[in-house]
Amino acid sequence: MTDATPAWKRFRARLTDYVSYAQQWEKKIGSFLSFRPDQVPDSAVAGPLEGLPFGVKDNIAVKGFPLTCGSKMLADLVSPYDATIVERLKAAGAQVIGKTNLDEFGMGSSTENSALGKTNNPWDTARVAGGSSGGSAAAVAAGLVPFALGTDTGGSVRQPASFCGVYGFKPTYGVMSRYGLTAYASSLETPGIFAKDLDLLETVFDIAKGKDDNDQTSLDAEMMTPRPVKTIAILEDLADLDPAVKSVYDQTCASLQKLGFELVAVKLSTLEYAVPAYYTIATAEASSNLARFNGIRYGLRPVYAENHEHLVRQSRSAGFGNEVKTRIMVGTYVLRSGFQDQYYTKAQKVRTLIRNDLQKVFDRADLLLTPTFPTPAFVHGDRSMNEFQQKLADKFTVTANLTGIPALSFPAGLVTGLPVGMQFSAPAFCEGRLFEAARRFAETFAVPDCPGASTEWSH
Amino acid sequence: MDIAELETTAALAQIELGEGDLERLGTALSQMLAYFDTMSALDTEGLEPTTHALVKDNRVRPDAVVSAGLADDLLDQAPEREDRFFVIPNVL
Repeated sequence: MTDATPAWKRFRARLTDYVSYAQQWEKKIGSFLSFRPDQVPDSAVAGPLEGLPFGVKDNIAVKGFPLTCGSKMLADLVSPYDATIVERLKAAGAQVIGKTNLDEFGMGSSTENSALGKTNNPWDTARVAGGSSGGSAAAVAAGLVPFALGTDTGGSVRQPASFCGVYGFKPTYGVMSRYGLTAYASSLETPGIFAKDLDLLETVFDIAKGKDDNDQTSLDAEMMTPRPVKTIAILEDLADLDPAVKSVYDQTCASLQKLGFELVAVKLSTLEYAVPAYYTIATAEASSNLARFNGIRYGLRPVYAENHEHLVRQSRSAGFGNEVKTRIMVGTYVLRSGFQDQYYTKAQKVRTLIRNDLQKVFDRADLLLTPTFPTPAFVHGDRSMNEFQQKLADKFTVTANLTGIPALSFPAGLVTGLPVGMQFSAPAFCEGRLFEAARRFAETFAVPDCPGASTEWSH
Repeated sequence: MDIAELETTAALAQIELGEGDLERLGTALSQMLAYFDTMSALDTEGLEPTTHALVKDNRVRPDAVVSAGLADDLLDQAPEREDRFFVIPNVL
């Protein structure tokens, strides 16, 4: 299937070498919350992914593995079932090797909001791997797994992919089942895939996608037949980019032109309203989805509680971290009677405007190119990148979640030893265009290996 | 945001606020809500709200019992149980 695949398929036969390679990396990057190579069965199911190990973000259910969501609330939870996408990948021969670290419940852009572990960027361990699927991105970049699953609610696959120099793919909403994902913002989130090999990523997508009776929003999508991508929209009014990202963006535009694509300058006047609309909707949905965590049927139970209400409050207060509490509080506030029209309904109407705006872009071009994130990976604890600043920086990624369209972050440059990703977005069900254009771009810039990483996990 | 508003919201969210939480959340909420208010500059008169990315129709299934066969495994996750019951503090 791909050059890297045969070596990976032998990993079980050389498990000792693999484990020592992985452990050496894990001491530096901490990408996994649970890592169980010893439990991988000796024989794999026959299929297109036969024998390939993969990592799964720890907010996606894998039978017999913990399902912590990076939270003290669920630190002891073990999943009794597989998410549909995990089940399909297993049936194609792939084997789950561990669960990867994340911002608690997927809320964050650095994986620093995990209550259960610290993840570093394999390119520079003083820096974050991005988030919220930081562990999956770091594990793929370091060559610990050929592919990994994440979830993308506002950019949580694409942004860490950009920070770690790998592909990060978010499909059209509904094309990959959400059954077995821990719900955060149901109308926005999708599963996503990380890989350094685009062919493998596409194969994984083909296997995992499709309608699922357990997810009523899933679709048996009629994917649009890829047609030659000719025109790519670029934004006229790009501002506030880090110089490293700006230079990679300019180079990418030049390379795409050289490859024969026509660049069309467009305006996206609603872009500056995408982030407030996104966070209004995401926090509102989060306050509702996370209401289920109350320490009664599962989850953190306080040592003592006077009564039922006290038990629930104690469980949630001790179980949730600061960022999760903030988002639940914001979401609860915007849904309070008297405030709904001002915030929630307004945001949903802005969502309509953004969709209309984007439709106009795709009337003129086959794809939209933007940076994935305005900065490369930032250092741990960077004060200029506090929680609020990180949210503002989601502006290029949240649009795809608000409108349900597919998007791909692809490695596009290296600046002072740090990878920078760019993002292609396509109309709904036009995933094929993303892969086609990214494949062409890879002719001019090959996916970089981070120092010390082996694409075959062992020399 | 005044403390009473914050406490009402926390009660609805079933979260207990400590001393430090009040100040931190007060600042964070005010900042986020002020930011959300920038949306009021956009004219959205007459637009339909988008509630979901791409879902157009409600999908229904036959009203039949379907078991995933997970009941015992799920009960095993209970922090406190007695036989097949979840235990909570006395209600009366």
